[in-house]
Amino acid sequence: MDSKAQPVNLPNYFLADLPPEAELTAGLITEACQTLKRNRERYLEGRSTEGTLRLLEGVAAEWLSPDFPFRRMVMEAGPEITGFTTPVLSAGLDQFFKLLTVENLESLLWQELGHPQRLDNFFPNERGWGSQRVALAQGPQLLAHVAPGTLPVPVMMDMVLGLLTRSAQFIKCASGRAFVPRMFAHSLYDADRKLGACMEVADWKGGLDPLERALFAECDCVIATGSDETLAAIFAKIPPTARFLSYGTRVSFGYVTREALRQTQSVVKRVAADVAAWNQCGCLSPHVIYVEEGGTVGGETFADLLAKELQALEETHPRGPLSAEEASGIARRRSFYEVRAAHSPETKMWASNESTAWTVILESDAKFQVSCLNRFIYVKTVAEADQALHGADLIREKISTVGLAAGAADAPELARKFARWGAKRICPLGQMQSPPLGWRHDGRPALGDLVTWCDWEK
Amino acid sequence: MDLSSQLLALMGRSLDAPCAAVEEEFNRLALALFAAQYNAVTIYRRFCERRNVLPGGVGSWSQIPALPASAFKEFEVSSIPAAERTAAFYSSGTTGQNPSRHFHHARSLAIYEASLLPWFERNFRPSPSMKLVFLTPVDVPGSSLVHMFKTVRCHFGGADSVFTGRVNGDGSWSIDLESTLAALEGSHPVGLLGTAFSFVHLLDHLRAIGRRVALPEGSRVMETGGYKGRSREVPKGELRGLISKFLGVGEPGIVTEYGMSELSSQAYDRAGVFQFPPWARAQVVSPETGAEAGEGETGLLRVFDLGNIWSVMAVQTEDLAARRGNGFELLGRSAESEPRGCSLMPEVTNGL
Repeated sequence: MDSKAQPVNLPNYFLADLPPEAELTAGLITEACQTLKRNRERYLEGRSTEGTLRLLEGVAAEWLSPDFPFRRMVMEAGPEITGFTTPVLSAGLDQFFKLLTVENLESLLWQELGHPQRLDNFFPNERGWGSQRVALAQGPQLLAHVAPGTLPVPVMMDMVLGLLTRSAQFIKCASGRAFVPRMFAHSLYDADRKLGACMEVADWKGGLDPLERALFAECDCVIATGSDETLAAIFAKIPPTARFLSYGTRVSFGYVTREALRQTQSVVKRVAADVAAWNQCGCLSPHVIYVEEGGTVGGETFADLLAKELQALEETHPRGPLSAEEASGIARRRSFYEVRAAHSPETKMWASNESTAWTVILESDAKFQVSCLNRFIYVKTVAEADQALHGADLIREKISTVGLAAGAADAPELARKFARWGAKRICPLGQMQSPPLGWRHDGRPALGDLVTWCDWEK
Repeated sequence: MDLSSQLLALMGRSLDAPCAAVEEEFNRLALALFAAQYNAVTIYRRFCERRNVLPGGVGSWSQIPALPASAFKEFEVSSIPAAERTAAFYSSGTTGQNPSRHFHHARSLAIYEASLLPWFERNFRPSPSMKLVFLTPVDVPGSSLVHMFKTVRCHFGGADSVFTGRVNGDGSWSIDLESTLAALEGSHPVGLLGTAFSFVHLLDHLRAIGRRVALPEGSRVMETGGYKGRSREVPKGELRGLISKFLGVGEPGIVTEYGMSELSSQAYDRAGVFQFPPWARAQVVSPETGAEAGEGETGLLRVFDLGNIWSVMAVQTEDLAARRGNGFELLGRSAESEPRGCSLMPEVTNGL
């Protein structure tokens, strides 16, 4: 699946629009970067934040309309190119574009910079230091994104952050994964050509040294997401003058208290939604759902209901086909658990019939298991949260989100426990793949890491 | 006549017979083995019961439930009582995983050898009393490959045959390059046999010292097995090219073996297509549906090996393959199912 070889006809604004035979060279990348920086000076640097917020809100509103040409293109060509079915893409994009309102974007600026116009002018802090000390924030001149492989939303989220900070942006996607970000970039270009001229989208296979070195040499900030090895390899190529914001691979899990099991059906629906969102392929998707013993239903009933819900979702939001390799990975794991289940009642398995569409594994062993994803979920019963955290000790350094279903009385203490243990985000089940605009990726500030400040002591 | 005698009889007369000619006998023995193994191997019986496929309920060998190879890691897949087991073959799994175990006794090893020797001879085509150079250590009790090589040496090797591998302090294998090169000297054809990774070590060494060995006409090479991170990975076609270039053995003299500690028979590949002997059958099944995949479609390899009398005859492997006519093309191991676009601590998936 190569984004360059797709049946989508668009003008060649971006490198990712070039025909497949066009070869990228280091010279071409350098030239593109220099153009981006020039365009930023001309068209982006002097803009008002207010204008950018209104533009983003307008573009996002269009994306939410089924008739928006770019959305139609994503829905038509997307399943073939991205591997996600139309309902999965549709749900994921709706969730993202609904966030992009002026109100939400302003809240993000308040949260991150203490004032929504902090990128336009000097402002004092709301509290402390008096009005004699004011500060202005500025984004990088040229921001490079080394986007992760699978999901389009994290890249688009970073593109929005880059726009807010008025940075020129070079979005380098994984090979064959540029399609949706490219459509988003086209929609921005369409809404405002000058703004679009401050963005570049390209894709090539990670590790192509001359291209990456050429790109990083021109940037003053690089955002990258990937495995530890990928990040180390990128870091080695970044000049010391550039800032490197790295986001490693993370895993997430869900936790259901016995109190929350009073509303079993609703909890199960929300867990299924988390498993189905983007086919479970993001760092925020759950691998394991821990369910407390002693509730109105036991782990087995919970897993059984979850299996039914995943089957129902398969009918409305099908997972879509996988490569033979990926499907074999699922088949291989299923066969492993099938034997275990045949041997002992401690393990049970529910699986879609005649397909690998979804799988639920119930185990009494609390040890965290990394799922093979694509809707393969573990349910593990535990006596209490400490048992789950003990079982998840191996991934403690890698934890992102805990999706929590708990009664109002228990939630605060549990949240503190998960936070102290290392969770970077705690959210209700059903929203694991829908972080709010102001969420702190890996616990880091959303905009705070992108900007530099100028303090003026009057 | 017991099942092993019937199998030996089938082996004796089927080598030159087309598959179809022995189909009826193969099927009869497979169904008999299914019934016997269902009764004698607890984990297999439970597995079949869970699938609700029972002896008497199937009429064709292809419907017999294939036990996942991973079951050999967690369970004793054997009808040989513990006290009667004289040998066990272990898979060379990656660190942190339990290896597969395949238990044997004198009678099962006799079947193993009866399966190995004629099919090896047919595919490797050794010349009489050929000098065989094995790139593995000689003393590794749990290795089915080393057992295979020792059996081959015993039956086909000249007195000057030699093992040039050694076991390192950490349990890994390497080859003694000096003694290997010394063993390849001479004017008579030699047979050189080893794992793909041992060939890569040897070829890398030859390249580094700028030397090419021209093995005498009639020499043979057999490579087998994966790499498992022990050397740089070389695609199979490239490995064969390097073998031709640095060892002077052309394509017709090179054979690739496919074997597993969980099986008693081996498949060989001489023109890109692997074939088992007539007493073992391979199927490629769709990972989505478990049904047999179409010609050329990628799926998971399933092997029905009548040689597995005292364990389980039908084994579902974790290897990707595509059916090619009567044989199969091997496409590698199924992905260790890492999160897409992520690479995450494999040790977490303990036991998988």
